[in-house]
Amino acid sequence: MTQSLAAFARSTWLQYVALFQWATPLGYFAYKVVLPVTQIVFFVQLGVFATGPGNALYFALGNSLQLTANSGIFGVIATVSNERQYGTLPLLLGSPANRLLTFMSRSFVNVLDGIVSVVFGLVVTAILYGLDLRTANLPLLGLCIVVISITTAGLGLLFGSLGLVMRDSIIVANVVYYGLLILCGINFPVSRLPDALQVVAYSLPLTRGVMAAREAVAGAAFGQVAGLLAGELLVGAVYAGLGYALFRLLEGWARRGGLQEAY
Amino acid sequence: MRSLIRAAWRSFEMSTRLRVVSPWAYLNWLVFPVIFAAIGLFVLTSSGYARVAYGVLGGGVIGFWSVTYLDGGNSIQEERWNGTLEQIFAVPTPLVVIVIGKILGSLLLGLLAFIPTVGLAYFGFHAVLPALDPLRFAVSLGVLSFSFFIIAVALTPLFAISRSAFTVLNGLELGVYGLCGFMFPVSQLPQWLQPISYALSPTWATRALYASATPSASGDIAGWWLASIGLSALYLVVSVALYRFVEVRARVSGELALA
Repeated sequence: MTQSLAAFARSTWLQYVALFQWATPLGYFAYKVVLPVTQIVFFVQLGVFATGPGNALYFALGNSLQLTANSGIFGVIATVSNERQYGTLPLLLGSPANRLLTFMSRSFVNVLDGIVSVVFGLVVTAILYGLDLRTANLPLLGLCIVVISITTAGLGLLFGSLGLVMRDSIIVANVVYYGLLILCGINFPVSRLPDALQVVAYSLPLTRGVMAAREAVAGAAFGQVAGLLAGELLVGAVYAGLGYALFRLLEGWARRGGLQEAY
Repeated sequence: MRSLIRAAWRSFEMSTRLRVVSPWAYLNWLVFPVIFAAIGLFVLTSSGYARVAYGVLGGGVIGFWSVTYLDGGNSIQEERWNGTLEQIFAVPTPLVVIVIGKILGSLLLGLLAFIPTVGLAYFGFHAVLPALDPLRFAVSLGVLSFSFFIIAVALTPLFAISRSAFTVLNGLELGVYGLCGFMFPVSQLPQWLQPISYALSPTWATRALYASATPSASGDIAGWWLASIGLSALYLVVSVALYRFVEVRARVSGELALA
């Protein structure tokens, strides 16, 4: 048990180090600081242009919360695609390591990173747009941030599995990340989407979690958003479960077809 | 001269062929523009259609920019990853000629970004450009293309000498959309940011583009074209020095593949 936990912790740390092996300090700063700030500012200014300055916080808060997808989607998908790119995927698949631990450690570090990203986004929002959290239910907001970071990583695990058989799975990460900006009530309410897309929106992580977080910022009690959070966790668990099943399925497929070395 | 044109043409042809089979190219000219257009249209039509021109054209302009400078610049990075960057520097053809061919290819592909975004606006939101002045629009688009082309040519040496240049510029991507007024006027930005916008050539071309598609727009469109062209010329002068510096440095340091 202790050995497994040690392997999990080692794997988690190495995942994070490997995730940013390409980055110089300046590149890391651009990715982790400049990109989130510019995303928040861009969409807030777009929203203010369209709807007036009174709605700035709606856009700022939505985009701050969505920053968790930077880790949960990009990070998780990149861990598998990087293994392929650097030729270590066959070693991973050939190792006797517990598959579930390997699979979960891929998301764990990104969940933590996602939480940090959201907190950073909220600080930026407070500084630039005067987000006032004095009336917010902070423990509940914290819970919402943890939940959306977990559920988004669950979605990332599902698409990350594609990296076992697909060379450019990071493209999928781009599509999913920016797609969430349309579908999850980040920049406009889900009710503005066509009916069919609303169904898609509610079957994705973030949608309910962002709603709950907005309520928490407004000072709602846990009971008022418990249903939303339970739904969010359920959606995340379904994606993580599907992701693990797909990982095992594609692992076998990749092994049989020698796809793990195809580049 | 003919040999240089031939080299640029071959570079254009080869890079275009590679883009046709590259999923990244489709992401940049098709997927990203549609996503940004969708967000823009949903947000901008939430309080009527007065600002819809920014939704109809914004995604296309973003896609055009992304393909031109990201795809064009990244093609140098790909040469590094494929181990062919040294050969490009070592051949008798000047680096800038090869880069021009590559970027002309990305410019052509980038223009395609307007097709899906305008299509989405029309079929998905019943949105059209409120008042199009075809001549001014065409000239503005030409000036915008020129400004993108020059920026891409000027930035490429940075991609060649620094591995992290692409990452840094990628991090600034959404900031550039805002600073250049791709989806909302730069007057929306804080006062202290606006001087930076005015120093960027696409800002003026984009302003002219939207003015030529909006009924109530007023202003000196010809002056904006000239401002964009003038700034582009300035970038070109700086880039000549940059190319000379990079070509010398690459040979002296011998670290091109490691940069």
